[in-house]
Amino acid sequence: MSASVAAEHADHPPAHGHKDDHGHAPPSDQYGTATNGKIAMWLFLVSDAFSFGGLLIAYGILRSGSHTWHHKAGELGWKYATEPKLGINFTAGLTFLLICSSVSMVMAYAAAADKDRKGTLLWLGLTILGGLLFLTGQYHEYFGIWAPGLTKEGLTFGHSAYASTFYLVTSFHGLHVATGTLYLIITWIRTARGKTDETDIELVGLFWHFVDLVWILVFTFIYLL
Amino acid sequence: MAHPSRKEYGFIFLVLTVLTALEVGVVYLHIGRLGLVTSLIGLAVTKAFLVGWFFMHLKSDSKSMKLTVAIPFMFPALYAFVLIAEATWRRIW
Repeated sequence: MSASVAAEHADHPPAHGHKDDHGHAPPSDQYGTATNGKIAMWLFLVSDAFSFGGLLIAYGILRSGSHTWHHKAGELGWKYATEPKLGINFTAGLTFLLICSSVSMVMAYAAAADKDRKGTLLWLGLTILGGLLFLTGQYHEYFGIWAPGLTKEGLTFGHSAYASTFYLVTSFHGLHVATGTLYLIITWIRTARGKTDETDIELVGLFWHFVDLVWILVFTFIYLL
Repeated sequence: MAHPSRKEYGFIFLVLTVLTALEVGVVYLHIGRLGLVTSLIGLAVTKAFLVGWFFMHLKSDSKSMKLTVAIPFMFPALYAFVLIAEATWRRIW
């Protein structure tokens, strides 16, 4: 527990059965040592998983119910160019990147549990870097940085179920990566100021791992199948 | 809560990396559609479980916490199976 927080504790220790000032409820029979924040984060993540579940189920229904998924130029009723296939190798690289940033996230938590602030800051920094690189990769995939992106190769939102579901699901996930990266940056700053302990790191970790977990499913359903 | 072991995290990282490589490999094997779908979904669910169980610490959480997370996830899985199977059946027949 950081010095400033410990000082606060000394002034007014938690009354019997009540939360201490850092929001840590005493261990309960039902949820053990999980803090209120952790239970709340999990409830949020379950509800967020339903959002992704809804999008992925809609995608699954549209795709399994359609005779043609990728449209080709000259097809009956199709007036655009052939739709590009999705790049598997590049996104496999993005998947590996998110797995690496999940590992750096748990290393940050392990360092925080050891009260090693410098180590926590290092690993959180690497996790932030992973998030920024992933977002850059996704920008490149859509719009192109060193090569033309999908938007220029003929995958246009609104032209087909294939294009619309792709952009909707992946951008919804991209927004979660951006939010998670912002959350990590704020946590990094608060850690540098000595205002966090391992439960704060665990919370941001739960969100970040969830972002990785969702991408594992998106990568399979959208890109590989 | 049990102290997180870095060695365990390192091992899970290796497993996730191997499973990801397997996923990409399966796609290039050009096996039949059913084999592709079942193997890829199996690999994805395994990876998702590993992240939840080890990285999100469900492994060391209370039974109530595990149930709080696991039970709700059964419903999207059930809806997905029923609705996608129905859409597929309608297309085939």
